[in-house]
Amino acid sequence: MQDQLLSHGVRVLKGLGLNYEFLLAASERAAFLHGLVVTIELSLATMFCSLLIGATLAAMLVSPQHWLSWSARAFVELTRNTPTLVQLYCAFLVFNMLLTQALQSAGGNPLTPFFWVVTVISLHKGAFHAESLRAGLQAIPAVTLEAAASLGFTRTKQLWLVQFPLALRFVLPSLINNLVDLVKMTTIASAIAVGDITYESIMIWTQRDNVLELMLLLLLFFGALTYLVNLGGRWLERRLRMPGYGQ
Amino acid sequence: MDMRQCRQHLSHMDMVFYSFPASWRLFTVDPSALKQSLFIEENMNAIQSVAPSSLKSNNFLLACAAAAAAAMLFSAGAHADATWDKIKQRHKIVVGVLLSGGPFGSIDPATQKPNGWNVELAEDIARQLGVALELVQVQPSNRVQLLQQGKADILIAGMEWTPERNEILSFSPTPFYRVGGIAIVPQSSSIKRWEDLRGKEVCLSQGSNYAKPLTAEYGASVKGFKSSAESLLALRGNNCVAAVHDAILLNPLVNGNPEWQGYRTISPELIPGNSVVWARKGEQDTVAAIDKIVQGWHKSGWLIATEKKLNISPASPALVELHEKFKKS
Repeated sequence: MQDQLLSHGVRVLKGLGLNYEFLLAASERAAFLHGLVVTIELSLATMFCSLLIGATLAAMLVSPQHWLSWSARAFVELTRNTPTLVQLYCAFLVFNMLLTQALQSAGGNPLTPFFWVVTVISLHKGAFHAESLRAGLQAIPAVTLEAAASLGFTRTKQLWLVQFPLALRFVLPSLINNLVDLVKMTTIASAIAVGDITYESIMIWTQRDNVLELMLLLLLFFGALTYLVNLGGRWLERRLRMPGYGQ
Repeated sequence: MDMRQCRQHLSHMDMVFYSFPASWRLFTVDPSALKQSLFIEENMNAIQSVAPSSLKSNNFLLACAAAAAAAMLFSAGAHADATWDKIKQRHKIVVGVLLSGGPFGSIDPATQKPNGWNVELAEDIARQLGVALELVQVQPSNRVQLLQQGKADILIAGMEWTPERNEILSFSPTPFYRVGGIAIVPQSSSIKRWEDLRGKEVCLSQGSNYAKPLTAEYGASVKGFKSSAESLLALRGNNCVAAVHDAILLNPLVNGNPEWQGYRTISPELIPGNSVVWARKGEQDTVAAIDKIVQGWHKSGWLIATEKKLNISPASPALVELHEKFKKS
């Protein structure tokens, strides 16, 4: 039944000049669907890791300890100012190769291409999150912090219990902006043959030359995915709104 | 009507046009036909007498269409091939070449100029046609699109003849080389035959036509990288057990490159195929002209001499075979 429906749909589209015949080939359809899942996995993993890295870096950036803030600053500038694809090639083709050679005697290198993509994108986007969060952290009025200090909050408690919760509300739109960009950035995984949706599409269209058809699917898929991120962001904004604060 | 503006407009149309599915084009007029007709000045005079009112009007597209329609009436049958006209009109041929390293096509590190087999062939085609040469570097992943979008007139890019490509492109029937895929593996690897690749990860470049036989016949799982350079680096990083590329790319590596001393190749060649020169679908004049040149190469033995000059080893038996065949004719 489902197969019939699918082949009928493909025939109708063929009549319109769109070649979606790959959907009828079981192996290619499976590869494409697997690509969808991998992209979603990549997006979720990088979102989580990048936010974690971003929060840590932001805390370091606003730290009164110079060695902490300067090392965080150096890292942010380095990652932010070099292209992600170059970083990925550097990490996977150069660093990973050296690691493999070093670990040859110890039973081989356990790190997968998926791991490298998540690491590189998380570090790259983490730097952007850190700068957004810094804007929020520094927007907290000094008197609020003085009030917290007078109530006996230590520096660390001030940061986690006063500064971060308030800052999050300021920077949410900017963070969501970064996350939308991050979802789209997962497409660079295709460069090192991680089987994400872009990679599977490239592998199909280089054999079938149906670039336009797959581009349309990619467009729809990423459109839907980023829209979901956007919806989630809006929901959080409403959820976290504090009456009398900011608006 | 300003003809330059009209031409510019049409060249944009052309780009948009070739990115549509083939059957959509049936419903529209082929812009390359419009364009070619605009190159013929005497046709323009004819049009001016046929449709003076539309030319005076501001309706630019209508004028273009009228011009093209009239021009096609006057030149019906005389010009079937827009690429050939474009080459003649510009006195230049744009050749897409694959420069993936090695003697078949690479960039000279000292001069930054492309050289190798593909480039030598392109240069000789331009010389024999009596036009200037422009080289465009292509990758296996984008070469068909670049040709279809008009960024290159012909492709000399290690592309073997396949039934799928035959559906969407035209080609000069005489092959200029015969090549298949071989695998490169570390010396210590347990892989001795193609069958040993079952269930293992194999690196290749995106767009490689070895993906199909490797997965379908030998059950390998393929990982496609942007180009052969990344694929070979991934092999060195142990991300796959073997890399499969054209024999003409891998043989020089294991034979002469000190960096690849610890590696060996797996034969016999996978799906050996005829490398031919590709052109856009239906460009018969271009294809005929190129085929005459290719046959001339075989007849004179120029290809064998070029192979020797570039130190390509092992020497291709197919070239000797083709030389014998065309020597007699």
